Amino acid sequence: MSTFIKDYIERETISRRNFLLATAAGLTSAAIPGAFGGGAAMADAGGWALAWSYRDRASAYWNAIVSGGEAYTESLGLKKDAMTNLINEGSSEKSLADIKAFLAKNNGKAAIACDANDSPNARPVAEAVKKAGGYISTIWNKTDDLHPWDIGDNYVAHISWSGEKPSEEAANILIKAMGGEGAIVHLGGIPANIPAIERLNGLKNAIKKNPKVQLLDSQPADWDTTKAAALMSNYLTKYGNKIKGVHCANDNMAYGVLQALKAEGINLPVTAFDGNPEAVDMVMKGELLATVFTNPHWGGGIALGLAHQAALGKFKPSEEPKAHREFYGPSILVTKADADAFKKKYLDSTPKYDWSDRWGLSAGQIEYK
Amino acid sequence: MNRFLTRENLLKWAPLLVLIALIAFFSIINPNFLSVRNFARLFTNASPALMVAIGVTFIILMGSIDLSMEGAVSALAVIFCYVLLWLGGTVAGLGVLAIPAILLLGALVGAVNGLIHVHLRIPSFMSSLAMGFVGTGAAILMTGGNIVKINDEIFRALLTERVFGFPLMVYVALFFLIVGSVILSHTRIGRNFYAVGGGEDLAHASGVNVKRVRVWAFALAGFYFSVAALLQVAKLGQAESVTGSNLMFISITSVVVGGVALWGGIGGVWNALVGVLIVAVINNGMIVIGIPDFIQDGVLGIMVIIAVILSTDRRTVAFVK
Repeated sequence: MSTFIKDYIERETISRRNFLLATAAGLTSAAIPGAFGGGAAMADAGGWALAWSYRDRASAYWNAIVSGGEAYTESLGLKKDAMTNLINEGSSEKSLADIKAFLAKNNGKAAIACDANDSPNARPVAEAVKKAGGYISTIWNKTDDLHPWDIGDNYVAHISWSGEKPSEEAANILIKAMGGEGAIVHLGGIPANIPAIERLNGLKNAIKKNPKVQLLDSQPADWDTTKAAALMSNYLTKYGNKIKGVHCANDNMAYGVLQALKAEGINLPVTAFDGNPEAVDMVMKGELLATVFTNPHWGGGIALGLAHQAALGKFKPSEEPKAHREFYGPSILVTKADADAFKKKYLDSTPKYDWSDRWGLSAGQIEYK
Repeated sequence: MNRFLTRENLLKWAPLLVLIALIAFFSIINPNFLSVRNFARLFTNASPALMVAIGVTFIILMGSIDLSMEGAVSALAVIFCYVLLWLGGTVAGLGVLAIPAILLLGALVGAVNGLIHVHLRIPSFMSSLAMGFVGTGAAILMTGGNIVKINDEIFRALLTERVFGFPLMVYVALFFLIVGSVILSHTRIGRNFYAVGGGEDLAHASGVNVKRVRVWAFALAGFYFSVAALLQVAKLGQAESVTGSNLMFISITSVVVGGVALWGGIGGVWNALVGVLIVAVINNGMIVIGIPDFIQDGVLGIMVIIAVILSTDRRTVAFVK
């Protein structure tokens, strides 16, 4: 298609969208695109279509990621449904197919944020976006040998969250609550998942530094509440009252652990990971010792924001240092002492982020071992 | 002596013998396994799965299958929590109405499942699987991906209160197990399940309204799924869109391992019980004796195959599909 026709169609689509928006708002003139937004932001994302590609809406985590993407979209003066949700339902094939379809529909003028579902899928996704001329940021899943700077400006950035250090911090709090000695059991995520491995490593690091503490057992409960409840009760049979503390790789499993303990009338210190609202409530009540918050709202917003701002030419990815192309998102340890303040700041009302502060919350460049 | 040691008798009791052998095996390796506390844990964890297994037994007896359990249990658990919270959040007051409401709803959902299967002439495999997806979707829609918590200590007494060392929910499961057994052996509808499973044409020729029997079976299965949902909430104190996850594998496996024939007509709820216990004992035992986690799934798979070989009479089957 010649650029002339492409531009013409684009212009027409844009003005039609403005017209529809204006009609919906009851305005008579379609000539004021900024009327719905805050000031300078264009009501059409500068000609770029926005999308978030992720697993599903069945968890608080992904909902928070999406809310971030929507907050970014609204910051452009658009309605939040101007961002398209591409839900892959845990299928890498669907993830890639959806993204290709979205690129084709928008003639490549798309800014996409994506969790590729599994690591090997990140490369075909990034290459498809580059070929079509779109822009993409990824989170979580990517193979170690794939780097945004090798693909080019179209692969803007990759964000991950290091599980090791915060998990170690949570373990230290657990060990402290145990009086610096005794045995710990760990409930892990799906064994091959990178966060599951990192969170267990964090615990192991903490135990290395505390010779009086030992790791009794670590088994996967696949991030699942029901499986975790069964696993915890099996641990109780195997180890009885040798267990002095429980370290869980996520919040959902900690809920199951607490119920298994409740059934037996046993009180043990338990730590979790993810910082979901329910878990923070439990920390406030003292049922959980600690959880780790990874600010998925910010992660979801900035991943989309980076792709879109690069598309608009607000910054050129290849001119940025590597620490801006591959970086860790923030992790905040939530304990009883700070749970109240944390809840007020992050959960009761979502903080408003300045999305032009692109790396403000970065926790440093991703390290490979 | 020989009268008891017939091939038929051996096959009938094989699943139970497998269960006893497994318990003996794990107990020898770790004596902790054979304790009231461990059995209480085992039964508590297995109760929801047992209810699902009994529900699906009614269907499998007819030679059909119901795969809607995961979505049904998730949706029913979520609805139960919402209704309970809406009615005051405690079963001490109006909230107690949430229990019969959800049992009725479960039966209704099951009946709809059966009606779709029978009247739209869709294989039960497909129609029930589709209904399961509808249930999961409904649960996601209702919760928006969040968790609904139930903190009512009276309802949670099902988990926390114990009689003879076992939580109350285990007795609830036992009660519904006996009800299921009575339905199968002492009611006309129960006997009709066997008739349909043994030979649908014959049953039809003998004047059994096969379509109605099928819808009843699915309604009954739905009822048991709702009991499973209640026990799941009692056990975990929460409901979400994944509350029913994993129940499909464990219930179907259990029913088959317990000796209910997938081609219909053979078995009953006691087989389902033995099957659920075999799977639960294997899962519990592997952790108690310390089998490395990366081979647990493989061991479970092999043990399931062995249990099926031992407990089903494959000689009477002309072909396996």
